[in-house]
Amino acid sequence: MIKELVIYPDDRILACGDVRGFDESVGRLFDDIKETMDHHGLDALSAMQVAHPFNMFIVKKDGEYIEFANPRILQKSKPFEAEERSSYYPDVTAIVPRHEKLKIVYEDRNGNTCYMDADNDRHFAAMFEQMMDFSLGGTMLDRIDKKQKQRILDALEGKGLVPQVGDVCPTFSRKDYFVSFADKILFFMGLSLLTPLFKFEKTTVENIYMFDKIAFPSVLLLMAGFFVYAFYESKKYKQCSSCQVGNNIGVVIKRSVAAIAFAVGAYFLVNPS
Amino acid sequence: MARLVVMGGGVSGHTAATFAKKWLGSDHEVVVVTPNAQWNWIPSNIWVGVGQMKKEDVVFPLAPVYEKAGIDYRQAKAVSIHPDGKADSDTPYITIEYTGQGKEGQTEEITYDYLINATGPKLNFDATPGLGNGKGQLGDHTVSVCTADHAIHANLELQQLFEKAKTEKQKVLVGTGHGLCTCQGAAFEYIFNIEHEARKAGVRDNLEIKWISNESFIGDFGIGGLHIKRGMYAASSKLFAESLFVERGVDWMVGAHVNKVEEGKVHYELLDGSTGEEEFDFAMLIPPFAGVGLKAYDKNGEDMTDKIFAPNGFLKVDADYTAKPYEEWKASDWPRTYQNPEYKNIFAAGIAFAPPHPISKPMQSPNGTPITPTPPRTGMPSGIIGKAVAHSIVDMIKNGENAHIHEASMAEMGAACVASAGKGLTDGTAAALTVYPVVPDFEKYPGIGRDLDYTFGEIGLAGHWIKHILHHLFIYKAKLKPGWTLIPE
Repeated sequence: MIKELVIYPDDRILACGDVRGFDESVGRLFDDIKETMDHHGLDALSAMQVAHPFNMFIVKKDGEYIEFANPRILQKSKPFEAEERSSYYPDVTAIVPRHEKLKIVYEDRNGNTCYMDADNDRHFAAMFEQMMDFSLGGTMLDRIDKKQKQRILDALEGKGLVPQVGDVCPTFSRKDYFVSFADKILFFMGLSLLTPLFKFEKTTVENIYMFDKIAFPSVLLLMAGFFVYAFYESKKYKQCSSCQVGNNIGVVIKRSVAAIAFAVGAYFLVNPS
Repeated sequence: MARLVVMGGGVSGHTAATFAKKWLGSDHEVVVVTPNAQWNWIPSNIWVGVGQMKKEDVVFPLAPVYEKAGIDYRQAKAVSIHPDGKADSDTPYITIEYTGQGKEGQTEEITYDYLINATGPKLNFDATPGLGNGKGQLGDHTVSVCTADHAIHANLELQQLFEKAKTEKQKVLVGTGHGLCTCQGAAFEYIFNIEHEARKAGVRDNLEIKWISNESFIGDFGIGGLHIKRGMYAASSKLFAESLFVERGVDWMVGAHVNKVEEGKVHYELLDGSTGEEEFDFAMLIPPFAGVGLKAYDKNGEDMTDKIFAPNGFLKVDADYTAKPYEEWKASDWPRTYQNPEYKNIFAAGIAFAPPHPISKPMQSPNGTPITPTPPRTGMPSGIIGKAVAHSIVDMIKNGENAHIHEASMAEMGAACVASAGKGLTDGTAAALTVYPVVPDFEKYPGIGRDLDYTFGEIGLAGHWIKHILHHLFIYKAKLKPGWTLIPE
């Protein structure tokens, strides 16, 4: 029977346990997993991905369907990076660290203990390890950089684009210095508008207004610098959602408008002449 | 006046004795028989083993504490139990052999009305050739952190290793020294504390650090692993632990039964039946545990050890010891009262009780070698069981033999564990985990056997602070300082 695939986000993928008893239901579930794989054209599928909380999965190897129940990896070596996709995360591709050489112990559908030394088949190794991740309560995203994982999850929730393979977006950008400095100047410009509430000496008011006259063009210059640097970064990191042009324009407009408003306010409220 | 004799003064025995004395007052007698002069907070031994604590930080003398509490303290090891008394007396008694108090080597009989076996484990180094010295002690090839003195020795060896690592590559091997070990957690803590200290000492680049364990997957910890729920997803202890291994650059091998230790080399068999060798310059391998070798005799002096003890030397209690396959294991197999079925005035607490079966999935190699972690009964469950047993005996003394027997099944008990991965006020790390129940209940929680809503964990600096605070808190409690009863087990 073809089963419905569990797609992110879904609570049913949370956790599973070892198969404890090997009766005919285990064989039936393996048959269903195989049928579902064929239907969706998948190379591997775990019981978790069809909403059965058991540590069992099937991986195709050289056209053969190998059934694994309660698998364990005893040793692994020869690390490599695999480009992986999963039916659980449609449209997501990630580079995941895996191991090519695996020493595996598992049980078949009848509960017989089996052993396998896998080597020289990176596709099988990557699929097997991805299934192991599901069977022990994780997904392939648990193997990648935490920030990259968060960006993918954010994108899946509709916040930004799904990062593509090879896209590495810095978690901190130098352009943020421009924004941070502009924000601090804007804060003091806003503060200067309170000047009429206090009885300052004339020279003090003149100095405050002088600050406003310098601060206003400074903010505009900083925003120009920000935009140029952001443009450079958007070329460098082509799929980085935080570098999107729309966002950058928004940042510039927001602060420029604020600077103009504060400057106008200062002209009428702070200007000693 | 009734007399309660507690054999063992570790976490469980000390908890049982001190609570029993508090509840019984001076109307009844509590006797503690333990071969040790000092109480040891074992979870902090790993910090002694890397030179971050001194022995004095993790031990304190028992005599003044017991004197203050009004407990009759005998520094002696229990040798035998005579539950039916002897030919001319029906009064049950135990025989002890002194190890201190100026009576070393002397033997004595102590009669009892109630008996708690909280002797803890025998560190069975000799189960693996070369791991022990053939006389039941730690051998020359490896180190241990099971006792404070072992940990001091481990640190001396470790510092020599760090010295060598300044100029040449060195290899560290940490894990379990037999296919049936428990206490993987201590080894897990030690390997990451070594890694942490190596970084601080600037020798990490010259150290290859490897984990070898009888677990079938990293993060099994003898309880079949656990899942830690965090918001919308659950991380298994396997992923949790593996991430740490990858992050710290520690290689690993699991499903391994170490069957021989030589100078600088261990021989092992894996779950798939293959064998291999692993070389090392420094190795800390946890030994398997066994009962301490207590004998039991009937009224006529005939050996009846097998009547009250399981073959592994642990005391039989109210568990279901019927041999059955893994799929038929139930939470109800686990003991609730820790009362011996033959003698209702004998109880066990902590590691001393015989578990009905492992918690982790039983596995063996094609050669028939069992390679499965045995169930842990240390830490929090040990203290809780000790207190429950004390409560039962106090009620029996005060209200008669038919009094309510208190229960503390590990299949209905949660536990918290804080595993250090490096000590330091600002750069320390520890994984803090809770699990409920300790023994999975597959009938109540189909699939994983545990309640995900009560099983959670986190790793970070705060975890280290918690472990450090717990260190002081539990030693404070064990010293019976004001308010000690308010501190949970």
